[in-house]
Amino acid sequence: MDIVMRCKLLLPSPLYGDALMEARGENLGESLKRIAGVTTFSTGNTISKPVIHGMHSNRIMILNNGIRLEGQQWGAEHAPEIDPFLADEITVIKGAETVRYGPEAMGGVILVNPAPLFTKKQSLTELNLLGGSNSQMGNIALSHSGGSGKIKGLGYRVQGSAKLGIETYYSFFNTSIGILRDAHTGNLSDLENIIQNGRPFTDGSFTYAIDNPKQVVSHHLAKLKSHYHLNENWKLNAQYGFQLNLREEYDRRRGDLNDKPSLDLQLYTNTLDLFLDHTHNNEFSGTWGVNLIQQANSNIPGTGITPLIPNYDMFNLGFYLLEKYSKGPVELEGGLRFDTRSIRTARYLNNELQQADLNYQNFSAFIGGLFQLSPTLSLSSNLGSAWRPPNVNELFSQGLHHGAAAIEIGDPNLNSEKSFKWVNELEYDFKKLNLTVTGYANQIQNYIYINPTGENVVSLRGTFNVYEYLQATAFFYGFDFAGSYQFTENLSGYAKGSIIRAKNTDDNNYFPFIPSDRMDWGIAYNFGKSASKQANKLTLSNLLVAKQKREPDFDIAAAPPAYALFNLAYQREIHLKGNKLNLGLQVQNLFNTSYKEYMNRFRYFTDDIGRNILLKINYQF
Amino acid sequence: MFNSKKSFLYAIVFAAFGFTACESDDPEPENDGEVITDVILNFQELNAAGTPIGAIVSFKASDPQGIEVGSTTTIDNVTLTKGKTYQMKIEVLNSIENEDITKEILEEGDEHQFYFLGTAFVGSNILTYTYADPSGELIGLEGKVVIAQSPGFNNANMRIVLRHDLDKNFPGASNPNFENFVQAGGETDLDVVFPLIVQ
Repeated sequence: MDIVMRCKLLLPSPLYGDALMEARGENLGESLKRIAGVTTFSTGNTISKPVIHGMHSNRIMILNNGIRLEGQQWGAEHAPEIDPFLADEITVIKGAETVRYGPEAMGGVILVNPAPLFTKKQSLTELNLLGGSNSQMGNIALSHSGGSGKIKGLGYRVQGSAKLGIETYYSFFNTSIGILRDAHTGNLSDLENIIQNGRPFTDGSFTYAIDNPKQVVSHHLAKLKSHYHLNENWKLNAQYGFQLNLREEYDRRRGDLNDKPSLDLQLYTNTLDLFLDHTHNNEFSGTWGVNLIQQANSNIPGTGITPLIPNYDMFNLGFYLLEKYSKGPVELEGGLRFDTRSIRTARYLNNELQQADLNYQNFSAFIGGLFQLSPTLSLSSNLGSAWRPPNVNELFSQGLHHGAAAIEIGDPNLNSEKSFKWVNELEYDFKKLNLTVTGYANQIQNYIYINPTGENVVSLRGTFNVYEYLQATAFFYGFDFAGSYQFTENLSGYAKGSIIRAKNTDDNNYFPFIPSDRMDWGIAYNFGKSASKQANKLTLSNLLVAKQKREPDFDIAAAPPAYALFNLAYQREIHLKGNKLNLGLQVQNLFNTSYKEYMNRFRYFTDDIGRNILLKINYQF
Repeated sequence: MFNSKKSFLYAIVFAAFGFTACESDDPEPENDGEVITDVILNFQELNAAGTPIGAIVSFKASDPQGIEVGSTTTIDNVTLTKGKTYQMKIEVLNSIENEDITKEILEEGDEHQFYFLGTAFVGSNILTYTYADPSGELIGLEGKVVIAQSPGFNNANMRIVLRHDLDKNFPGASNPNFENFVQAGGETDLDVVFPLIVQ
């Protein structure tokens, strides 16, 4: 991460090496579940969005090699357009990071970084093979530092002189995801019937073909970065990012319309960062910068459905300043930022042109410190403000949410969300024991949520529930912990977990889709010699998830009961004449327990995934 | 060797170019072709030989704005005569876009089926329905309705449900009065209740 200095203050939780190897073939959300405090908000088992400290979608930010990922994040069933195969390291920062990264980073930031590029003449080819028993899935990924049949990432770096550097990067993501047919309901009684049944009415035959309803999404991301050393202490940086996101969603429809998407969006995003880094001998360093985001969203005509969100042009200009002081065991950091954003929207509703001009401005600031209390114990603390302007769907939704038997009503007068997050982390690391405890409190003014009005619309198609977007003061707080202990040379154990509480303090009520208390623990036996770093390890783990007892007054189905899952994994690394072979065998849900996860939107319709045996082969040459 | 300052400048110029090239398209009104605004039941008496006789009597349910908050549905009372046998043809229209959805349903007869429920059909002998679609498929766009000679009561509800994407081979799905139609899968395209008066 070099767009700004790496944040050391809030000890980031990275995922790399063995852990990332184990996660190969999973989507980003699933991979990140391995980090304490990160859960997922999912729609079935193919679409999952990462949740940091109870926040997801537009309340967190994902950076792909330093560029903020801009897709259609507002949708609950819109997964981030990023492939973890690309990543060499994935880092989660749990603080409020608006000052550094711009609006929306309220809950945290996910940094996805590809392997550093080779500056010398050198190459690495990586072949990944993957097979799974449940759904009989297979996956092949080949990556080369230059490129391949399925290009995951492509980059080029030129070191012109000691003073100047230019770097280019391109990544492409493409996916087609099928959605459970029975989850697409025609009206409220369909929905109620399937909820009562607890599982789909049709069993469905096995097929590899992806039928409607489905999503077809592709995302292009290109980056150009250059830096210039003005002198020994000052460095000027420019980074430009271009993104094109194409999303098509297909529903079951009549006639020719079945071949047409019911939602067809094209989103262009340009980002430009200009910033000045300075490092001085007197323990001060800092970054001053300007950040521009320009976005153009268009509905491609011909869907035969009035678009869910309007066409819009968005422009965001931000100025920021970060300064850091470090001396001995103390590191202090602070920052200020000002943003101004304008959005112009246009759409046709009932054949009438509707236009809106919206403007938002906000200051944000943070202050933080890292204190090395002793050689084994460190404490970090970070207090930051953050903000998020309302999304276009929250402002302008007006009508039927197809398949969900819901009519959603937006509010163009919504205000920006403003949050204060205080995060504290204590880390202890001594010989055999490693322990990290994180505690946080996050207060959000004008928190936007969707709420049932209790009204129904009766149409010729049957009855529909009406939902509206409201704002209230929210208070989130909780703890994460992660620890490991080396019992003997070969045997180790680990435990991690998280507890979140989220309350609507205006109504003394709870918000829906907040992760319930959970803990994951396991023991690992390493067959190899302790001196060798080559993995040869068997891990047995157990996930315990409590029932979510803090539910809002209204939900179309009660929270599912608590569950416990067992997983078994074997990981082996073999060196062959300088080449590296990684073998992984995993059994997920060992006892084929049937369960439902509160954070899966399809819990209304079906059980979660049963036993799955996965074989993963990775060969680097 | 690079000219350092120039390259840096090029990067910025390139970025500026990207920024100006990108603006959203003008919106275009969409033709909401799938919305159903009118359901019309056309009844014509059948004689003993099964030949239609007399005038066609029509009853309509309409929702001119489609599915929207604040829209109102108007549904006619269906009035039929005791002891008679009728042919019932259902017409489905989108009056906003002037489309005849009946044709689309007929073309996809293998994926669509009407069910006839409510007190008029289920748990009483008032109306007896038989599918009589010319194609031989069980769709329900055309059917035969027999009105009881002496029904137990004169006022009842005719609930008409159109299912899309169902499994027509599901046990019981061939029964026009199949109450557990949801078990055959698919989703509801129409669910209308007509008040029925038999004279």
